[in-house]
Amino acid sequence: MLTVPSVTPDAISELSAREMRRAMARRWLFRFSVLIGWVAFIVVWYFFSRVVFNPRQLPEPHVVAAESWTIITEQDFRTHMQASLFRVLAGFLLAAVVSCGLGWLIAYNAWWRTLLRTIVQFTVSTPIVALAILTLVVFGVSSLGPVITTAVVATPYIMMNVAQGLTGVDRRLIVMSESFGRTRSQIITGVLLPSSLISVLAGARLAFAVAWRMELLTEIFAASEGVGFQIRRSFESYDVRGMIAWTVLYIAVMLIFENLVFRQIERRLQGRTA
Amino acid sequence: MATVLIENLTKIYPPTITYPHRVQALGGVNMSVTGNVFVAVLGPSGSGKTTLLNIVAGVETPTSGSVRAVQDGVPAQVGYVFQEPRLLPWRTVLNNMLYVQDRKSDRSRREAEFYLTMVGLNEVAHLYPSQLSAGMQQRVGIARAFLVNPDILLMDEPFSHMDALTGRSLREYLQRVWLHTRKTALFVTHDVSEAVELADRIVMLRPGGVVFDDIPVNLPRPRHPDDPAVRAVEGEVLRRFDSMEAAVRFGAQAG
Repeated sequence: MLTVPSVTPDAISELSAREMRRAMARRWLFRFSVLIGWVAFIVVWYFFSRVVFNPRQLPEPHVVAAESWTIITEQDFRTHMQASLFRVLAGFLLAAVVSCGLGWLIAYNAWWRTLLRTIVQFTVSTPIVALAILTLVVFGVSSLGPVITTAVVATPYIMMNVAQGLTGVDRRLIVMSESFGRTRSQIITGVLLPSSLISVLAGARLAFAVAWRMELLTEIFAASEGVGFQIRRSFESYDVRGMIAWTVLYIAVMLIFENLVFRQIERRLQGRTA
Repeated sequence: MATVLIENLTKIYPPTITYPHRVQALGGVNMSVTGNVFVAVLGPSGSGKTTLLNIVAGVETPTSGSVRAVQDGVPAQVGYVFQEPRLLPWRTVLNNMLYVQDRKSDRSRREAEFYLTMVGLNEVAHLYPSQLSAGMQQRVGIARAFLVNPDILLMDEPFSHMDALTGRSLREYLQRVWLHTRKTALFVTHDVSEAVELADRIVMLRPGGVVFDDIPVNLPRPRHPDDPAVRAVEGEVLRRFDSMEAAVRFGAQAG
């Protein structure tokens, strides 16, 4: 005969409390291991700075930190960071708008698909340094060059993901919508856009990361202000400290932006598209 | 009064790269459904049941023949319950219901809540489909079909993916809502007991999409699968189903 052990509410709450404690412990362990990783990185940096190179070639972490603080407190920091941010965002938004249209064409038109795939292959495989130099030749030293080049480099990533998102839409949901008499625009806003959102977001995230790198590189060659321009100036005066400090600040702003925008959107979408 | 008039309906799928042969899904179906009746379309796999329903819903076009689904002379509003619930995963249960409505008013919200209550799901209206069991999701599908106040209700094997117990409870929910609304219903199934339990009339399709038999089911409602009268009709339908299969086999051998 099968006997079922009796489970009291107290036992259940004790069990869930124990599970909760274990989960918290695992979370803190994970955070601690990340911290250890950062400490190890800084130790290795010190090692390379003092033993492998010399502090003038590779400044020590605390020197870079002090230089970063000096840059932040200067008036120039805001001007240059704002200029770079504006170009990244402008280039990215331009890419996003163009990509949505082109992604749609790739998803639903065979002729455009063939044509644009070739262009994508060409753009993705072109070294970004070559594109940065080309920007200098075509646009000269201006704000427009970095924006356009950033858009050109970011477009394929969003475009292909928009196309993938649209072709991956569950056809059955469209049939359901049609059977209930939903109009074309209702199906686009109610089914097509939300179902391709995850794929589009993944593409946008990748494109955004590429846009930051491209923008910085283009500024180094073809800009009179911005973080890239400041890195070039530091390089010209052999100020390695300044070069690394500006790069670190640029990466920090990029990470903050990434966390504030994309990760938040992803968190909101989690569980709803399963 | 809603009427579905199907005349000489044929559907032939052209060859594709993966299957280089023509496939005849429907081979000249003639049938009509008028008034507040529940009609089950019964047939084995490949008899064109889903195709028939899709053509009536207007999501597929026939190769030849015609379908008229009208309510008092004007095109009828159709409500469709699919094999799978087909809910939008990024919308809550309530918003899934409201998606199929033209007006987004307080009244439509109340109507949605009413039908969710009818299928016992008003408490989970704020949840997302992924947070519901398969049976609960299908109940949302049923409630959604009734919400559009359809003249004709189409159901394509809505319980075929469910386990026996869930399927049984869903049939009870469906009977309850149908008895409340009395919509003209076309219910596709390959399950004889399901057809007998729910339908006023059973139309049997044979492979190739041809009507083989049309059996009236004159039993009081609500019906229970263990009721001897239900079992007796079930036996009769099964006997005819067997004779159809024998006829199909004989035809295949003769051919």
